[in-house]
Amino acid sequence: MGARKILSRPERPKGQKITLNPKLARRSFLKVAAATAGLTGLALSGRLSRRVEAQEAKVPYPGSKIVRTICTYCAVGCGIYAEVQNGVWVRQEIAHDHPVSRGGHCCKGAGAIDMVRSEKRVRYPMKREGGRWKKISWEQAFDEISRKLLEIREKHGPDAVHWNGSAKVSTEMAYLQRKLAAFWGTNNVDHQARI
Amino acid sequence: MTNHFNDIRHSKLVFFIGSNAAEAHPVALQHVLYAKEVNNAPIIVVDPRFTKLAAKATDYVRIRPGTDTAFLMGLINQLIVNDWYDKEFVRTRVAGFEEMKKVAAHYTPEVVEDITGVPAKEVVRIAKLLADNRPGTVIWCMGITQHHIGSSNTRACCILQLMLGNMGVSGGGTNIFRGHDNVQGATDMCVLSHSLPGYYGLSEKAWRHWCKVWDVDFDWIKSRFHSKEYMHKPGFTLSRWYEGVIQEDKIYQYTPIKAVVFWGCSSNSQSQYFKVKKALDQLDLVVIIDPFATVTAAMCEKDNVYLLPSTSQYETEGSVTSSCRQAQWRYKVVDPVYDSKTDYEILEEFVKRFGFADEFYKNIKKIPEDVTRELARGALTIGLYGWLPERIKKHTDNWHTFDLFTLQAKGGPCDGEYYGLPWPCWTETHPGTPILYDISKPVTKGGLPFRARFGTEYTYPDGRKESLLAAVANPGSEVQGGYPEFPGWKTDINVIREALKRGMAPFGNGRARCYCWNFPDPVPIHREPLHSPRPDLIKKYPTYPDKPDFYRVYTRFKSEQKPELVKDFPLVIITGRVVEHMGGGAETRSNKYLAELMPEVYAEINPKTANDHGLRDGDYVWVESPEGGRIKVKVKVTERVDPHTVFIPYSFGGMFMGKSYAGNYPEGLAPYVIGEPANIVTNYGYDIKTQIQGTKEGLCRLKKA
Repeated sequence: MGARKILSRPERPKGQKITLNPKLARRSFLKVAAATAGLTGLALSGRLSRRVEAQEAKVPYPGSKIVRTICTYCAVGCGIYAEVQNGVWVRQEIAHDHPVSRGGHCCKGAGAIDMVRSEKRVRYPMKREGGRWKKISWEQAFDEISRKLLEIREKHGPDAVHWNGSAKVSTEMAYLQRKLAAFWGTNNVDHQARI
Repeated sequence: MTNHFNDIRHSKLVFFIGSNAAEAHPVALQHVLYAKEVNNAPIIVVDPRFTKLAAKATDYVRIRPGTDTAFLMGLINQLIVNDWYDKEFVRTRVAGFEEMKKVAAHYTPEVVEDITGVPAKEVVRIAKLLADNRPGTVIWCMGITQHHIGSSNTRACCILQLMLGNMGVSGGGTNIFRGHDNVQGATDMCVLSHSLPGYYGLSEKAWRHWCKVWDVDFDWIKSRFHSKEYMHKPGFTLSRWYEGVIQEDKIYQYTPIKAVVFWGCSSNSQSQYFKVKKALDQLDLVVIIDPFATVTAAMCEKDNVYLLPSTSQYETEGSVTSSCRQAQWRYKVVDPVYDSKTDYEILEEFVKRFGFADEFYKNIKKIPEDVTRELARGALTIGLYGWLPERIKKHTDNWHTFDLFTLQAKGGPCDGEYYGLPWPCWTETHPGTPILYDISKPVTKGGLPFRARFGTEYTYPDGRKESLLAAVANPGSEVQGGYPEFPGWKTDINVIREALKRGMAPFGNGRARCYCWNFPDPVPIHREPLHSPRPDLIKKYPTYPDKPDFYRVYTRFKSEQKPELVKDFPLVIITGRVVEHMGGGAETRSNKYLAELMPEVYAEINPKTANDHGLRDGDYVWVESPEGGRIKVKVKVTERVDPHTVFIPYSFGGMFMGKSYAGNYPEGLAPYVIGEPANIVTNYGYDIKTQIQGTKEGLCRLKKA
């Protein structure tokens, strides 16, 4: 993709770095957003985006650290430099020195940071009740789901549950998914590699 | 992949078949373009559709969907009849050549033209190109695998490379560009219904091996199952699990499926998606664990569903295996956002409540490192013993020290090792194996022969006997020539150490088989798609007999192949990727930039077909499948497809047969972009070995909306 970089944060005085911690600063962010664009139009509005000046892009956020990580989209395994300030992922940079991607990114990888910053992330556990989604606590979720699964296992047998695992988790987690099915007592476990 | 992305820089030719890497793996393409521009390598793209990758090709071959084996066998036949094949390679490292040759002889250029639509002279020309430009690499993706003969297609690709002597050499290889970021790692861990981690299968021996690794009693694990039979019987697959619920095909299990857990997995990637929807409505319990509200969440209309927010992979850590068998450590960037939990935490809470936490976490105190150690200790078959978390992290920390062309570290802390310790990485000091089956290097330095998996000798049906052991060996091998596998190497690291000490591969030194007696077709042959647009060819190239109890469900082949179907459904439907979206699209359609770049699903239709149907660019059209699936999508009139073919990208969801389900997502969590899943209209049909869905060879019809 082209070299145009877009950062989705409000206009700010030059040189002053602002951290938008989604937990702490979401409200004020939304206020700014609402003032600039209708909430529904926010997603596709270019008004919060602007070009980053070359010099500005080189100035690190004060006290930030750089984390080497790997893109979560495809199996090319591109390198990413993530800039983290105050526990917030503030900026990502291509990894020129990664031996496979060599500074390359597709449009998805270029927006890797949005995996964390997207407004569309599920915020808390939910269940559907009376045709509506209802917020529940983690304890309630774990307790209810486990109880229901164990009831099904008791009544119908371990093969009455099918586990669809993932090619989007770490190798360790994938291994644990397979191990979980084994300990549950079924081979009804599969994932995207099948298709 | 037998080789690695960077190794394509050594290729003198790149042959893509059923891959659109320009959209699916764009960053890998830099290595391909290097071969094109610097080595002057021909870039051949074989595809029913003129893709973005085809735009980069030197030679584009348009092929009828579902006829890849016929085309490949045609190329192989040309290599043989013109004496262009690598005789020394065949003599020393290949088995079943004579048997394969007889089968290939059927696929003359004229026969290939009739089946595939590729002109006879093109078949000869492409074969000559392959022969004249060695080493060449063969690359494929789902365009090859998602067919009822998908496993034959892949084998035909392998045989082509064997004939060219392109295996085990830099610049050659069979290189399957894999999809999801960790699909290789998850495959290696066998989140699959027919195997335990490391491809051990489900035999008692396999279970005993893993029980030893887990440090649990075999009889205890056995007691967890319904019966011993179900411990060894492959389970339902991702492609057909829903039949366990709706039972439109007979199931072979003592109970229907009552609950399903989607843990980082979308449902709209499954063919005949309207049947998945039907199953979701019938289940007692649906659990979705995902950072985003997936299509599955919106499709559930009963009060049977839970949605649990797992973190993204940037809020946790662990290793991830790239397409080239390399491990990289994906470091955590930030703590979990909102009230989400890591997959590890969620799993632990369930394991505790299921009552087997002590057994489950016996060797695991520190997550994820102790998990890496456990899986590495167990997965000896693919040589993961050397994948210690410290080593993987060291490689990622020093990624800048590896050579661009060989991926070998030049100096520094990883000196001499290959980036990401590509498996097999036999021991804690092994450098990794960058190119599989490379006999130019010692086994201890990353060389490898072909595996001697099927014994030492075979007698073919006509009585011919042939040795299955190679006639060459890696430098430094104690035995100069072929040798069988070392007894016990799959379960004992000491056997592996002993083999390496003697300069030999633990799995033996065998020949690559062109004749696989354990497959329904020992040599790949063409079989017409179940839903064929060429009824005249069905009689000559019929599909297989039906397969009962195939991953616990009756799977139709012959009884589904109806020659008259094409009368009502005259067009072929194929699906594929767009660069902006990925998989089911839950992530990418929730990304505002990507949503803006690719905001709508569409059907690519040839101008002739469009005009015949009275359709213009931007119109809406109903695409209908023989099974009863129908979707309403926008028309893109383009010559990318021929007049017989319709293409639809598959990463959309949130619409269902003309109706929006946006309101069914939790409030505010509907992705920026919704659209009809193409898989509503992909057809019935599954591979005879793997049960992969045949989404690249169905039929459909168009109706102006």
